[in-house]
Amino acid sequence: MKTRGVSIAACLTITTALLASCGSGDAADDGPVTLKFQALSDQPAAIAETESIVADWNEENPDVQVEIVPAGWDGVYDKLITQFNGGAAPDIIHYEAASIVSFARDGYLADLTDLMSDERRADIPEGILDSVTVDEQLIAYPTELQSYMVFANRTLLEDAGVEIPTGDTMTWDELREIARATTDGDEVYGLGWGLSSPTAAFMSLAPGFGGTYFEGTGEDATLTVDDGEMALPELVHDMAYEDESILPVTMTQSGSEAIASFYAGQTAMTVQGSYQAANIAKDAPKDFDWVALPPLAGPEGPQQAANPQTLSVNIDSEHVEESAEFIEFFTQTEHLAALNEADALIPATTSAQEHLAEKLGDENGWDTILASGQNFVSAPYLFVDSYAQWKDTVATPAYQRYLAQETDETELADQLTNGWDEITQ
Amino acid sequence: MRVFAQQLVRPAQYVALAGYILFLGFPLLWLVSASVKSSAELNSLVVNLLPQEWHWANYSEALARQGLVSSAGNSAMVALASTALVILIALPASYVLARLKGTIRVAGVGWILVSQVFPVILVILPLFLILRTIGLTDSLVGLTLVHTTYTMPFALWMLQGYVAAIPVDLEEAGAMDGGNRLVVLRRIVFPLLAPGVVATAMFSFVSSWNEFFFALVLLQSPENYTLPITLSTFIGGEGKVALGPLAAGSVLAAIPSIVFFSIMQKKLTGGLMAGAVKG
Amino acid sequence: MPSLLPILVLSVAPLLMGVLLAFTDAELVRSPDYQFVGVDNFTRLMGSSFFWDSFRIGMTWAVSVTLLQLVAALGLAQLLNSGLRLQALTRVLALIPWAMPPVVVAIMWKMIYSPNAGPLNAFLGSLGLPDDINWLADFSTALPAVIVVGVWVGMPQTTVTLLAGLQQIPDELHEAAAIDGAGAWRRFTAVTLPSLRPIVTSITSLNFIWNFNSFSLVYVLTEGGPGGRTMLPMLFTYLEAFKNRNIGYAAAMGVVLVVVVVALLAVYLRSQLRDDRFETKKKGGLS
Repeated sequence: MKTRGVSIAACLTITTALLASCGSGDAADDGPVTLKFQALSDQPAAIAETESIVADWNEENPDVQVEIVPAGWDGVYDKLITQFNGGAAPDIIHYEAASIVSFARDGYLADLTDLMSDERRADIPEGILDSVTVDEQLIAYPTELQSYMVFANRTLLEDAGVEIPTGDTMTWDELREIARATTDGDEVYGLGWGLSSPTAAFMSLAPGFGGTYFEGTGEDATLTVDDGEMALPELVHDMAYEDESILPVTMTQSGSEAIASFYAGQTAMTVQGSYQAANIAKDAPKDFDWVALPPLAGPEGPQQAANPQTLSVNIDSEHVEESAEFIEFFTQTEHLAALNEADALIPATTSAQEHLAEKLGDENGWDTILASGQNFVSAPYLFVDSYAQWKDTVATPAYQRYLAQETDETELADQLTNGWDEITQ
Repeated sequence: MRVFAQQLVRPAQYVALAGYILFLGFPLLWLVSASVKSSAELNSLVVNLLPQEWHWANYSEALARQGLVSSAGNSAMVALASTALVILIALPASYVLARLKGTIRVAGVGWILVSQVFPVILVILPLFLILRTIGLTDSLVGLTLVHTTYTMPFALWMLQGYVAAIPVDLEEAGAMDGGNRLVVLRRIVFPLLAPGVVATAMFSFVSSWNEFFFALVLLQSPENYTLPITLSTFIGGEGKVALGPLAAGSVLAAIPSIVFFSIMQKKLTGGLMAGAVKG
Repeated sequence: MPSLLPILVLSVAPLLMGVLLAFTDAELVRSPDYQFVGVDNFTRLMGSSFFWDSFRIGMTWAVSVTLLQLVAALGLAQLLNSGLRLQALTRVLALIPWAMPPVVVAIMWKMIYSPNAGPLNAFLGSLGLPDDINWLADFSTALPAVIVVGVWVGMPQTTVTLLAGLQQIPDELHEAAAIDGAGAWRRFTAVTLPSLRPIVTSITSLNFIWNFNSFSLVYVLTEGGPGGRTMLPMLFTYLEAFKNRNIGYAAAMGVVLVVVVVALLAVYLRSQLRDDRFETKKKGGLS
């Protein structure tokens, strides 16, 4: 039994290695090279934009042809893990930082440090670049991001005598004040916030409060839950139960579900992913007067954790350099700007942000959305091995219990840290 | 009194049936309704079965989606082929399984249960490597084989249940009438099994038609995608869902199954059996 | 038997490899280096309170869904087998839930259960009942609400299975019982149920396995929430295998689930099969 167990495991290992090597060995020496580009897109406009960029490249580069393999966000992680382990991954891989880091750590992604042009490197804000740097290796080009924004119903704010905040940022205290002022104790609540899976929002916004959650990377990471980490959950809790200025049902909904109450005038403001601006423009009632409020700032500033969409290269690709060249082309200013416009996201390069700001002006809140693009920082949770498990089995249930008043803040902090200890024991 | 009670039975049955239809059908009706609503209406708090404004664009958007129609063709091919294979193999095997006792039965039942309980995610990597070795990843033939293999256990298990439900006396009676084993099988066992075979066939058709995980992992080229894979591309990152087009796509995707069900349900009951036992 | 070859290659071999991984520290990395670690994975698993908590939820879920499916489907199958009008139409209608991919089912039921924009609450409101129940997010209603969806999803297959079984009962048995003066209920308990027993056994055992094994439907509905009330054990295996890439430890979870489920089923099947033989004898005596 013992020996057989080991030998079968070894077999599996050898087969993997063998297959990985023969899989990449059949590329023709002459004739054009074909790169497989696994692209994720759900918006028809973004799909069209991707196709047009690839068509341009293929025309300019007859020797290096890129073939799009469309895939869906749903299940792509499972697909990739099988592709990588079976030695069948595509050359160019579209995904997001939070999910691609683990593949980099397991050795599946090419180091692009020397392949990225200086021009591009200088164009990407440091926080965003850090979010795709693992163990000092650049594992992906960042492309598109979203930030958390506050959208407000101008009519309701004005009716309540609230001045619409302007300026570069808005503090959380201002948000709380406005929420209190617009809550009328009957029909209208100040804020709607889709917090059904609260962990992502709390992680992304923690940097503004000095919350880091994790220290160290990989298997050695440790979790701390202190004032900086607890500040935002406590603030939400206080707004919901002391001020009673958050519409309770929204806290159990997803962002896109919670937005319906905003359209219906039941909430004066809503916290949403920035991409929702495009949906609000499309779905809100015709006479709905809305505005994107300035980026939220905590005591430490307006920072939010960056989790960009990414383009990476398979380390086992026969054509790492060609793939990187294609990604360079793909991330040129006008391409990134067009793609992000189609997806209603924030470009990962400063030049593309500026390009888009110039083109779109203040239409649909784009100016405020793009302004928030300067506040991205790299967050430690991206680089922590057991984060996904902790999030799903410990953090999300613990936050949900706290937000539903089943537990208090001491219990919340205990559950977060004890759960981490148990998972990583 | 008894006559009175019997007169009440029919209406009560209809009421119960209506209850079932409401429970099973209403969510689907709601899906159809969502498929003709605009995204503005879907994102409002208004609750209406009929849309305020018929928004057929969802259907054109769903159909314009790359490969919705061709992936339906792939799904149908894989589902029909694996159903045929499963029935061909499982029918004789299940008879053996149900009627013979001993270690073979124990081994068979053991494999059936373990293969259904063991998490698929742990099987997928070895399976992927094996299929790659024989060159059957990214191929509809490979997917058909996989679906056949993974439908087989429950097809066997269900069919042996149907065989076991046929009283052995009937077979013995047939044998006493002078028929040899094959004649008994053909004249008595198979006709009685017909509804069970039909039910099992529907079963394997649907599990292949809906199967997501194997298809997701094994198929690499878009031209080989099956319907669930294509439908999943309607769901975006960060939980963004284009509800209207997704609903429209799902409604369209259900049509082939409905056609298949309409054909099969006739076979499920009725003609096939009549007289088989008596004759 | 040549037909066994694909089964050996595509099912038995991967299964064996999967089981053997449970005794190693295998990880899903590019150059894996597996060590045989004996039962270490199992000892570690014994101490995982999260896993066993979700195991209890999984049992509640699987047992209730399986039982409700059986009862509801038995009723529907009887109705569909009793010569009512519009049989063909209702049969097809009853089957359509089957033709929906799980993701779509989950999204559809999320719309139905929506606390402020869903038809269920709107309907309750129109009857003057409370219309603000937050079905999937309230700590007390979440598990029952997902169980209803589980029943909905599994009903068509159970109904078809039982309907086929009902069709298979020779008319003579009913006729003989009717001549003996048995009423409808008596005929149901004395003829229908015993004849269906092997089919009920196979479909309940399969349903139980599937329900215990499923997590994607519930995951899309609730992501295991609220507060972990709908966290099914298979989710742990998934997270451990694919997200943490500790495939050895995950395989150990899989093996534990197999052992527990097969043990439960063995007890159930043994009692059923024994009754089976007994029933056959009794029936033989009657005729």
